[in-house]
Amino acid sequence: MLNPARIGHRYPTYRYEVSREKIREYALATGVEDPRIAADTGDLVAPPTFAACFTVMRAGAALLDDPELGATPRLLHSAQEYDFFRPVRSGDVLDCTPWIVDVSSRARIERLVLQVDCVDADSGEPVVTGRTTLVFLPPPDGEGGA
Amino acid sequence: MPSLHDVAVGDRLPQRRVLVDQERVLRYAGASGDWNPLHWDPEFAAQVSPTGGVIAHGMLNLGGISALVTAWAGGPERVRSLRATFRGACPVGATVTYGAEVVEVDAEAATATLAVWAELDDGTKVVDRRTSRAVVALTRDEEGRDGAS
Repeated sequence: MLNPARIGHRYPTYRYEVSREKIREYALATGVEDPRIAADTGDLVAPPTFAACFTVMRAGAALLDDPELGATPRLLHSAQEYDFFRPVRSGDVLDCTPWIVDVSSRARIERLVLQVDCVDADSGEPVVTGRTTLVFLPPPDGEGGA
Repeated sequence: MPSLHDVAVGDRLPQRRVLVDQERVLRYAGASGDWNPLHWDPEFAAQVSPTGGVIAHGMLNLGGISALVTAWAGGPERVRSLRATFRGACPVGATVTYGAEVVEVDAEAATATLAVWAELDDGTKVVDRRTSRAVVALTRDEEGRDGAS
């Protein structure tokens, strides 16, 4: 069972440096056709979903490592939102803080909404906010479970 | 890039069809850092996958939609927000169709809201168009396209 007392809990801030080659790798993996991606020089603007590289997994790991939350690895990604205050560019250094927005359950399926606030490490100005909805599946029959 | 003058509710972007094979899924895993074995290990997937087999990352399909939208919008810097609901699973090996349609134009903010989707040939809604949206900045007029600044 997920612990609803963890709603509002903030995990430690981590830092992510946006590199040009990582943007290029991600863009090519998702079918981006943009001449700037093919060029060898010049700053790149990250595709919107590139934000997954510094939000989904890193913040998800914080959840699974939290002994007070009670999250299990049997989970599915059920929704994702990104709001951009400005585009993400190569050379950006971002400070990212995950926190739990909501925990709820219905019919043995538990749902958690995790937000990651990403700010420019130099200016402190917001850059992008990610909101991930995860669904935790019940254990298979016979494995108990609370 | 699209201007406020040109864009109307009901406009549809040209759809893209993509074969989501294991190579593409592994490439996405490497690019994103998401190595959840649900996406490449059949034995693990047999225990947790809604289909019983390996499935694509939801974010791979949202990334494909994002590529479609940014190509239309004139670059990733023009996307203000993106939200998606992952509904049906996309088995590795499936062909998926990405689409988008303008559902709202805000003249004051100079933005267009697009319903976006990813669907399989059997009708499975992988990214559900009813609840998935992209908000894109539009240019205000012809002059704005090459506006000196």
